[in-house]
Amino acid sequence: MQSRRPETLTTHLIRAGLADLTRSASLWRDPDLVAVLDNRPRGSAGADRGPGPDRGAVILEPAATALLRTLATVADPDLALLQLVRLAAAAPDRLRPVLAVPDGGAPGTRDADTRGDADGKAPDEDEPPRPTARERLLRVLGASSALGDELVRHPALLDLISDSTPGTGVPAAQVRAELLRAVDADPDAADPVAGTLASSGSGPGSGTVPSGGDRSPSYTDRLRRAYRARLLRIAATDVTAPEPTAVLPAVAAALADLAAAALEAALAVARSEEEDHGAGVRLAVLGMGKTGGHELNYISDVDVVYVAEPGLLPDGAPACDEDEALRVAARLAGRLAQVCSGASAEPALWQVDAALRPEGKQGPLVRTLASHVAYYERWAVTWEFQALLKARPVAGDLALGEAYCAAVGPLVWQAVERPNFVEDARAMRKRVEDNVPVAEADRQIKLGKGGLRDVEFTVQLLQLVHGRADEDIRSRTTLDALAALSRGGYVGRDHARRMGECYRFLRALEHRIQLFRLRRTHLMPTDEGDLRRLARGLGQGGADDLVKTWRSVRREVRDLHEAVYYRPLLPATALLSTGEASLAPRAAMARFAATGYRDPAGAMRHVQALTDGVSRRAAIQRQLLPVLLGWFAEGADPDEGLLAFRKLSDTLGSTHWYLRLLRDSAEAASRLAQVLSSSRYLADAIGRSPESVRWLAESESLTPRGVRRLASEADALLGRAQEVDAATVALRALRRRELARTGVGEVLGALGPVDAARAISDAADVVLAGGLRIAEHEARADRQVARGDEPARLLIVAMGRLGGQEMGYGSDADVMFVYEAVGGAPDKEANDYALAVAKNLRRILSAVGPEPGLPVDADLRPEGRNGPLVRSFESYVEYYSRWSSPWEAQALLRARALSGTLSVVAAGGPDEGAVEASLSDGDPVPGGGASVPPVSAAPVDGDETGSELDLGPGAAGGRSLGARFTALIDPLRYPEGGPDAAVLREVRRIKARVESERLPRGADPARHLKLGRGGVADVEWTVQLLQLQHAFEVPGLRTTGTVAALKAARDAGLLSDDDAEVLLEAWRLASRLRSAIVLWSGRTTGSGVDQLPHDSHALTGIARLMGDVGTGPELEELYLRVSRRARAVMERVFYGAE
Amino acid sequence: MDRQQEFVLRTVEERDIRFIRLWFTDVLGVLKSVAVAPAELESAFSEGIGFDGSAIEGLTRVFEADMVAKPDPTTFQVLPWRGERHGTGRMFCDILTPDGQPSLADSRNVLKRTLAKASDRGFTFYTHPEVEFYLFNQLTKSDSKLEPVDQGGYFDHLARGSTHDFRRAAITMLESMGISVEFSHHEAGPGQNEIDLRYADALTTADNLMTFRTVVKEVALEQGVFASFMPKPLADQPGSGMHTHVSLFEDDRNAFYEPGAQFELSKTARQFIAGLMVHAGEITAVTNQYVNSYKRLWGGQEAPSYVSWGHNNRSALVRVPMYKPGKGNSARIEYRALDSAANPYLAFAVILAAGLKGIEEGYDLLDHTEDDVWELTSAERRALGIAPLPRDLDEAIQFMEKSELVAETLGEHVFDYFLRNKREEWEAYSAQVTQFELKRFLQL
Repeated sequence: MQSRRPETLTTHLIRAGLADLTRSASLWRDPDLVAVLDNRPRGSAGADRGPGPDRGAVILEPAATALLRTLATVADPDLALLQLVRLAAAAPDRLRPVLAVPDGGAPGTRDADTRGDADGKAPDEDEPPRPTARERLLRVLGASSALGDELVRHPALLDLISDSTPGTGVPAAQVRAELLRAVDADPDAADPVAGTLASSGSGPGSGTVPSGGDRSPSYTDRLRRAYRARLLRIAATDVTAPEPTAVLPAVAAALADLAAAALEAALAVARSEEEDHGAGVRLAVLGMGKTGGHELNYISDVDVVYVAEPGLLPDGAPACDEDEALRVAARLAGRLAQVCSGASAEPALWQVDAALRPEGKQGPLVRTLASHVAYYERWAVTWEFQALLKARPVAGDLALGEAYCAAVGPLVWQAVERPNFVEDARAMRKRVEDNVPVAEADRQIKLGKGGLRDVEFTVQLLQLVHGRADEDIRSRTTLDALAALSRGGYVGRDHARRMGECYRFLRALEHRIQLFRLRRTHLMPTDEGDLRRLARGLGQGGADDLVKTWRSVRREVRDLHEAVYYRPLLPATALLSTGEASLAPRAAMARFAATGYRDPAGAMRHVQALTDGVSRRAAIQRQLLPVLLGWFAEGADPDEGLLAFRKLSDTLGSTHWYLRLLRDSAEAASRLAQVLSSSRYLADAIGRSPESVRWLAESESLTPRGVRRLASEADALLGRAQEVDAATVALRALRRRELARTGVGEVLGALGPVDAARAISDAADVVLAGGLRIAEHEARADRQVARGDEPARLLIVAMGRLGGQEMGYGSDADVMFVYEAVGGAPDKEANDYALAVAKNLRRILSAVGPEPGLPVDADLRPEGRNGPLVRSFESYVEYYSRWSSPWEAQALLRARALSGTLSVVAAGGPDEGAVEASLSDGDPVPGGGASVPPVSAAPVDGDETGSELDLGPGAAGGRSLGARFTALIDPLRYPEGGPDAAVLREVRRIKARVESERLPRGADPARHLKLGRGGVADVEWTVQLLQLQHAFEVPGLRTTGTVAALKAARDAGLLSDDDAEVLLEAWRLASRLRSAIVLWSGRTTGSGVDQLPHDSHALTGIARLMGDVGTGPELEELYLRVSRRARAVMERVFYGAE
Repeated sequence: MDRQQEFVLRTVEERDIRFIRLWFTDVLGVLKSVAVAPAELESAFSEGIGFDGSAIEGLTRVFEADMVAKPDPTTFQVLPWRGERHGTGRMFCDILTPDGQPSLADSRNVLKRTLAKASDRGFTFYTHPEVEFYLFNQLTKSDSKLEPVDQGGYFDHLARGSTHDFRRAAITMLESMGISVEFSHHEAGPGQNEIDLRYADALTTADNLMTFRTVVKEVALEQGVFASFMPKPLADQPGSGMHTHVSLFEDDRNAFYEPGAQFELSKTARQFIAGLMVHAGEITAVTNQYVNSYKRLWGGQEAPSYVSWGHNNRSALVRVPMYKPGKGNSARIEYRALDSAANPYLAFAVILAAGLKGIEEGYDLLDHTEDDVWELTSAERRALGIAPLPRDLDEAIQFMEKSELVAETLGEHVFDYFLRNKREEWEAYSAQVTQFELKRFLQL
């Protein structure tokens, strides 16, 4: 119905895709344009055009109809219409034939309208029809405002538009000749010189600059105009291509040829300014980067390198000396760059960038061939070889250029053997990803993750790795190289194809963005209009569709790096589809080595073992491994990571959930890779408790269980146990699992150092309490005593780091034992029993066994090693009333009553063989008074869980043993009024002696994390001294935790904020380092665990594991600095030194 | 191979040089040298020369004994005193760890790092040192009395003075090594001379100073006398200072210059001076590193004892020289505490760091002092906010120990080593029984 009604102009314009209707309506009625369309001279038309846009129907002339139909196909119809109007005003007579429809009999334009160009559906022909002149013009105008302006400035260029010869696929020699003729140079001369050929005027060549009637422009300007004329032809072919990504390689190649021709012509201009035209000097210009790769952009810096030699006289002698040749050549090169990019009447072409030369911008602009070779043989770093891969002679003395390539080429292919290749490649890749300004990261087409550089980097890396052995993959052009890599079996066919598609899309996008203003940019525009133009130009629908496609391409590029790089490392036997590649053993070794695996043969064996066979496990691992291999390579120790993964898979591969978990949760897999390749401790721990892999999928599993849950688990476990040994093993396994959980949490950054220490201590608490139950069970069994009839109850007092709930992975459990006779048992009997229990406990927890032990250390007891292992409560009372040696008072600051004899829940004798009792008794003080506070020694941060394990030791006198013991020691450790001067002096003296005596022989005090300068001990002694002095008046100081006490001292004004911060930072850093060393090395004991390593490999691994402390050397500097500051505070506060 | 390296190899070939000395400096500023044959030079350039660093003061921890000296070809010079035929060349080296990282213990690297920090802020640091030293007649025995070669005074022209010949020979030799000398004259003390090097970027100047000391000693030996850079060799005569003029440039513009401002000093310059005022005490252990240095600082004459600044005030620690109209680029300030025995790399690094700190933190500059600071009473000085410099090495150590600025500039390793070494020096010094004590107290 609508179609029958005559249409208004507005409808016509909307159908043609014009956005600004008011403006385009007035443009449409522009008298100049109307005159051109109506084929009449200006002035006689326009007034009789139909009524306004909304007032009635218009009937369009055939020319106008054709114009609108074509406009509908261009990227930006509004822009095209505007530029068309300007052209109509500037050059109506030249424009008329371009816009004419065939029946008008316009000369020179092939009749193409018959094929219905507007919708692009051409009838089948042998050869796709060439676009009409009108299409070419409007598409160019709609895609590039810069070229439109150029056309308005030089309307003669319209003649080029009429010429339908494609701008791509033109032989390079022809383009070179065209530009040389533009500067009156003889293309056939060995060294063309501008101005030596009789001026050809507008010349015979179809591409020569149409003379615009200007007065003889300079050679520079003539060159630039000729360049742009050729550029216009290329752009016209590009924007009229049915498939922008298909024509891309040809466009990029044509642009590279054009740039090479421009360099040659610019050199001809430079030569013409030398007195003897630079005779006697051979100068070769090598294209690097995209110029060398024969894949240039519309506008980007043209990277070059210059080589020069003296020319040879007919008798073979050099025409001049080397210095002279280099001087002249440098002058020529400098001038060449000016001709291309200096200021002149015509706009510059692009920057000529010679920064890739040896020594970069510091180096001389021109070198001899021998000097280049010497540099690359000795000085060049890895990325310079990567850059050399692209070198190609493009202008000047091509024979010299070829000689250069022949000389440095072999060096490129040896680069992979350089000692630092792996680190360099890793650093280069990181630079590729990181070197993007944050503000642009989201708009970058070239840099950043998933950008063009990513594709290029992947391809070049593969070329460097395998090009040494295989000459077929050495192409300079990215897409050709990719195809060759695929043909050679280095990359799977499907992956190569997809990667190629992504690359073409991104390049086409980049080209169209640059084409618009002919500006060098790699940023996705944000303006809606810009996006719309791009989307229409690329056949992508609307702006939203384009952005969506772009994002998905970026994502795909990111994933493809892994697929392309690591997937072919799978052995041939593992292949599933025919589209995939598998590297030959030698190539696989090279790739493993280039990735950072120190033992490529071993890695191959592991991969083989993991992927062999037809099992479901092998099938899933084939999917997983390529990605994992990449992740391992990013860790500190790829070989260890892969080995650990293999072990894990051997153990777990057949369990139903393991591989499914890794396959379905990318996060779990990446975390696993990170953990396995950065921590030997955890690789081992996870291997022993494979179910821990599950934690990786859920973050909440990585948070510590808390003492309450652990206690009830231990309770259940002991309740089920049927014999002592099994119960012991199960108990120790519980702790080992929690250590692993904590370690994984720390490595993944989910757990801070204080929380981690707390979690480790909680596990120790539970194991001690559980161990005590087993020990009592044994003692009862030996004595044939029934549960409930024990002669004594026993209290474990946690001391040291256990008391402070600040344990590390390798810490011992410092304890004291307190007993109390019950039921009127004689002291001898009670003592015997308690001693037996304590000994049992130490044996149970310390003995060598399948699960890691927890050495129980009672050296902090009264009289130290010489004192009895267990003492009765009364004995403690008496001892403390007679003795109050300062170090004991200090040690007691960390005393925390942990656990005592359990209340009997179920009567049970030795014969039952069951160790059962409730560990988690709800009431900590059976029969105790409600007024008694929990006995726990001030848990950190007021968390009440500390009381959970005070499981109700004897309640004689209305208070539990723990509570009474705490009450006993409080006056010692928190003395009223603070310790007297003699005690303070003694504490300081002991510390001074410890500093000199306890440090292991040969240890550097600055690097000993525990006892060294500003280490853990310095901070703790400082805090403890403040506690001794002030805890009686500052309740917050009555805590066993270092951090809590430090904060309390600060809040009470005993430490300045700055001092407290310095001490806290040092304590935290040293604690983290101690943990990190254990996690990294897998060793919990030995002299190394408390020292900052010297070895740079270890330092780097530890720094990487810690994550936020920079490189190895930076970590070293950081620790030395932080600990030095802490020592200064310590000397002031602890020793009172000023 | 880069051009400079080619140039060195070619020169070695053309001039038939038989030995190349590779020079580097230990933490205390003592020159170290290892000679290589020309055949080794290429590998020295590409890989460096390995040596056991643990034997050298402060250069390394025992754990990392292996160090690598890598020559800097831009510093190549032929040593003139080794004769024209079969000559000897020298180059300064950077010290690297075996894996190619700059060594944390290399004082040249300390200066390079600090210069890089300045460069990040767009500054180049220029220095112009005025080096004083004494010439004595050769000592026959180690305990014989020091005899200056003459009895001249400041700017004295001495007839047949051997110091003329000496200075002419020394300057000729320096110039032949590419080190420009601005001027030279007899100084105030008997046998004391001053030679001023032309201003250059701080790394070049520091290298030049190391060369300078060597040249002066060589020439003195040739002339049968003995040259000493000891800060205060004669108790009743002026010490040997190394007043150093410093300036910052932004590209080729002097950042210290602002026409029309007080003394033509820009805000940058004022903040730089303020930085020196605030941190002077902390950096003194580096700029004046020996127990003997403090005999000069507190021995009156030209040495500054108090932290103050002034315009042409010769008692000030920082002096702003008279501005010469039309010479905006010569605007500079003079730091007067430095003595001739300092390690120039570390000294320039801490001076620059203190100045930069002033600029970064925007320190305010107190008023300049016109009075002769020595003439003021201590109460007056206190009222004016003029603090003394450390009295002795011990006090300087205590200042430095607390300095984050110096620690950061030197790096933890050099900082720690330097302090340890200086504490030992102080202890050894304190254990001495001196002539002074014997003379005064023996009769007790």
